[in-house]
Amino acid sequence: MDPFAAIEPRNSDRTASQSRFINMKLDTSGLESTAPHFGTSCELFSGFSAAPSFDLPVTTDFDGFQKESIQMVKPAKGTTTLAFIFKEGVMVAADSRASMGGYISSQSVKKIIEINPYMLGTMAGGAADCQFWHRNLGIKCRLHELANKRRISVTGASKLLANILYSYRGMGLSVGTMIAGWDETGPGLYYVDSEGGRLKGTRFSVGSGSPYAYGVLDSGYLISYNTCIRYKYDLSVEEAAELARRSIYHATFRDGASGGVASVYHVGPNGWKKLSGDDVGELYYQYNPVSTSTVEQEMAESSST
Amino acid sequence: MEIQRADKCVMASSGFQADVKALQKQLAARHLIYQHQHNKQVSCPAMAQLLSNTLYYKRFFPYYSFNVLGGLDNEGKGCVYTYDAVGSYERVGYSSQGSGSTLIMPFLDNQLKSPSPLLLPAQDAVTPLSESEAVDLVKTCFASATERDIYTGDKLEIVVLNKEGLHREYMELRKD
Amino acid sequence: MSIFEYNGSAVVAMVGKNCFAIASDRRLGVQLQTIATDFQRIFKIHDRLFIGLSGLATDAQTLYQRLVFRHKLYQLREERDMKPETFASLVSALLYEKRFGPYFCQPVIAGLGDEDKPFICTMDSIGAKELAKDFVVAGTASESLYGACEAMFKPDMEPEELFETVSQALLASVDRDCLSGWGGHVYVITPTEVKETILKGRMD
Repeated sequence: MDPFAAIEPRNSDRTASQSRFINMKLDTSGLESTAPHFGTSCELFSGFSAAPSFDLPVTTDFDGFQKESIQMVKPAKGTTTLAFIFKEGVMVAADSRASMGGYISSQSVKKIIEINPYMLGTMAGGAADCQFWHRNLGIKCRLHELANKRRISVTGASKLLANILYSYRGMGLSVGTMIAGWDETGPGLYYVDSEGGRLKGTRFSVGSGSPYAYGVLDSGYLISYNTCIRYKYDLSVEEAAELARRSIYHATFRDGASGGVASVYHVGPNGWKKLSGDDVGELYYQYNPVSTSTVEQEMAESSST
Repeated sequence: MEIQRADKCVMASSGFQADVKALQKQLAARHLIYQHQHNKQVSCPAMAQLLSNTLYYKRFFPYYSFNVLGGLDNEGKGCVYTYDAVGSYERVGYSSQGSGSTLIMPFLDNQLKSPSPLLLPAQDAVTPLSESEAVDLVKTCFASATERDIYTGDKLEIVVLNKEGLHREYMELRKD
Repeated sequence: MSIFEYNGSAVVAMVGKNCFAIASDRRLGVQLQTIATDFQRIFKIHDRLFIGLSGLATDAQTLYQRLVFRHKLYQLREERDMKPETFASLVSALLYEKRFGPYFCQPVIAGLGDEDKPFICTMDSIGAKELAKDFVVAGTASESLYGACEAMFKPDMEPEELFETVSQALLASVDRDCLSGWGGHVYVITPTEVKETILKGRMD
């Protein structure tokens, strides 16, 4: 039987279908404002204030339709984000470029999403998917806080997100995110993606620039002849921030789809704080003070061959 | 291209006309209900998020529409929100959407150079332009986009929104 | 991704008053990965004639070598430099030779002709010439370049102003393109001199 036939009665009774597609109804109760102010039942508003669910196209070839419609609206892709746990908490950093194919649609995307004062999420993959589900997660975390009188753990929050994403698996969502925060057990860091994966770890990097960022993160950069800052647990906040910034910077240099501003956040016992936001267009000339003529020399050589 | 307004909030959309109409109708209805319920206009940032959610609810069957939302925020400052078709949005200093956006954006970048809102220490992102300068810049942008983009042309409608209110200007563009 | 976008490029040529400018970006990449940031896409044929080759880097270099070879033969036989119009026809012919297995390049040709009259032209990968009076663009950033040039170009600019305009247009455009940028390379050619400048740009 066509599995999508089960979608038909989705607006009628819940018992009508045992299909997993029942999960597709998004719980948007938190997004809506309070119920209409006057009267208990109000047919006039029911069409609007009822939580809207996702419309699905009426088609037998859902996958094909998805493929085409994704092509049509071209989601923003191409990113470098990273996060790592160290002695003083979690360091989170990201670039700020959004691209559609070769065109840069924005140089100022906020890829580090502030879920609550103790938790951050990063954004890679489809911009709308990440933004929407992080907003949704923020609501869920707040509701958890109100219901249980304490903050949600990073473990719990990341699992909430992973479960939602898993319920949409195969429907074409594109999310690669890290949930970083500080809870009762100390710093926490999880990687969650739209394929349903959820990993706990001490350092992650996500996005098209991640190989370059990992390279710097793992092997470090030279400060002087025999001092090299690389990832280790007992870095100071300043060292960790500089390592994160360098990793993002090197990724933006090599990766065409990463660039803009390198933002660095730190999450400690007292919540997150933005440490820096540097235009990588200027960072390049800070890290590479201009030296003259070597380039022109090379150019002369290459043109003579 | 289509322009619609609330009191302190104007939206311009391009894309598939039927989707644009459906989207704007939906927003207008939500706005009307909000006015009846709360007895006030929707603020621009609230309308921005509403538009984002409205677009995302059609995530698997998107509105083929590309939107920019402009208006005055709660402090009376100008604000621009830019969207993709499935509802990711961002507050920016200037934006352009639609088939001609690839031609207009680099020129706006060059002329306005607004510092990124992500910078720390933060820099003021408001573009120091007078109203007439801003309108002239918009006209230049459209005049040049019309030259090379076949989907842009005929007529231009400019809506200027400030604390005194709202007024419109029109300009003829190439007809071919 | 199209083979024309494999390496990434941006080339633009603009006409001024008895002068012209030709400029390109400096990136060589393999899709999104940046390999080099000092790549040459503009080549000198003689003092008053330049060609910029956008598209696939390997074909650009091969094509350039074949063009130089043909131009040298011409110089030996005719004992003079080629006129820009003639050279454009040569490029067109060389490209059409490979009609069914083309060089994946879109050339931009710019030169000073008789009486210092500037000549610019571009063509597609199989040699269809496109002459212009104001500016021509090519490469992955071409759409952005069209927009920027269309808004910034003025007729009959002096060399200094032309340099400023072409540089601004190039940098503004490549900053909206993932596959080109990492600096710029500008030549401004007047009847008496060739001014070559390397532009610093955003390295992301």
